[in-house]
Amino acid sequence: MLELKDVDTAYGAVPMLRGVTISVRPGELVCLLGPNGAGKTTTFMTVCGVVKAQRGKVEVMGKDIAALGTENLAALGVGLVPEGRRLFPGLTVQENLRLGYDAVSGRGPDFEPQLEKMCALFPRIRERLRQAAGTLSGGEQAMVALARALIGEPKMVVMDEPSLGLSPKLIGEYFEITQEIHRHGTTVLLIEQNAEMGLGIADRGYVLVKGKVAQEGPARELLASRTARSLYL
Amino acid sequence: MCARMHGWYSCRLQSEMWRMAELLIQQGLNWITLGCIYALLAIGFSLIFGVLNVIHFSHGDVAMTAPFICLALATAFGATSPTWLVLALVIAILAVGLIGVVLDRVVIRQFRDAPAMMALVSTVALGIVIRESIRHLYPEGSNPHAFPRLVSGVAFEIAGVPVNWFALLVTVLTVVLIGLLFVFLRMTPLGLRIRAASEDRVVARMMGIRDGRVFRATFFIASAIGAIAGLLFASYAGVTRFDFGIMAGLLGFSAAVIGGLGSMPGAILGGLIIAGIEVLAQTFVPDGASYRLVFVFVLVIVVLVFRPAGLLGRPLMEKV
Repeated sequence: MLELKDVDTAYGAVPMLRGVTISVRPGELVCLLGPNGAGKTTTFMTVCGVVKAQRGKVEVMGKDIAALGTENLAALGVGLVPEGRRLFPGLTVQENLRLGYDAVSGRGPDFEPQLEKMCALFPRIRERLRQAAGTLSGGEQAMVALARALIGEPKMVVMDEPSLGLSPKLIGEYFEITQEIHRHGTTVLLIEQNAEMGLGIADRGYVLVKGKVAQEGPARELLASRTARSLYL
Repeated sequence: MCARMHGWYSCRLQSEMWRMAELLIQQGLNWITLGCIYALLAIGFSLIFGVLNVIHFSHGDVAMTAPFICLALATAFGATSPTWLVLALVIAILAVGLIGVVLDRVVIRQFRDAPAMMALVSTVALGIVIRESIRHLYPEGSNPHAFPRLVSGVAFEIAGVPVNWFALLVTVLTVVLIGLLFVFLRMTPLGLRIRAASEDRVVARMMGIRDGRVFRATFFIASAIGAIAGLLFASYAGVTRFDFGIMAGLLGFSAAVIGGLGSMPGAILGGLIIAGIEVLAQTFVPDGASYRLVFVFVLVIVVLVFRPAGLLGRPLMEKV
């Protein structure tokens, strides 16, 4: 479903990713871990096509992202949750969700039932629908960002550090919902810094250190691995 | 004797007050008419800046091509009847909208990801190209060309002061256009996409929004509204010149800056403030008409010093 093959990227002269190879198969929940500056957000941006790979190939749903373009990703069935939520702050919660729905489903007529589903999944959203997204609390924004990615019923969701800035209680809630989405058949690439939580719900994991994949394997093995712990955990 | 003197003074005072009231009403009407025209110009600047993060310095020049297109069409049609004039106006507005789209495609697009300064310089250069093109391509382009009042006559009176149809047309047209723009931006899918792209272009792309479409729509709307402002500007002045775009651009841009670049209510407020200062200077300062623009641009400087983001603008941040 998603493949990065030997990918190099750089911001100007500064190399970010070096020979990164990552794959996510249909139905999997894969966690990409790494400390600050490891290249996690660069990986997210590369998957989205916002950052161009200098070398290697990025394929999403079997299509080369360089040829596809960021704006066509959603129509393939990929929901995105960028770092820091990045809701449209001046737009209402409902407008943010509408954009998420239109992105994946086109301008379909079934927005209202989908909105209702999201309100059932994230009850806090319901009373905030008419409110500007920028006025929500961090936790609420995190929920809206996830709902925006899910409302079009994507085949795959890519999340970049969704737990950042959330209270421990909210992190637990968030990961439960992520697990729930995965259980219903959605493929998930979870880019996280919170290793215990991330690997706790993932099938497989990758540890990214200084722009390189330092270790990979089944999540349980990574959690138990001494090498992974010495590298990052 | 004393009572007679008191009566004379009272009568004189009343007459002076009446004269002042008439003057205020008359200047109030001028203020609203000019304020509406400046607001329409400022809306274009704000819309383009809000969506593309580009200060389109040639927007005034683009707007002022409309009267020339209209005059050329009217001449070509041999237009004497109102129907032909309306047709020429509509075609001019649509043509300027398309000119805006083409300029974005050919020039401004090239600097989409370049430092803001490059787009700014290119739009300044574009303004010169537009002015010189009009000067050389339009027959007798260096000379002023009479432009008709779109409507004439007195609509009604306020306390004996005539309100002409033109002032009424400008005000109603501005209110309607602002209303339509509001409805378009708030209630249509394309409007929603334009607002989203103006807030975060990268995430907008992640949401499947094709920024090329958004930019084309933005340029068309901004340029068409600018064309309407240009036609009203020329009609208000009774004349058009190839270099009117400089002044129209400066006043429209100043209005947008005072209100807060990127803010639609700010553009309207800025237009009204600029026109208000101009009218006040003309009315109450001796020989104020000669240097009314000094007051306007001093105000721009003051606003930039104390409120760099403008009166209704969001705090300035570097968009990344």
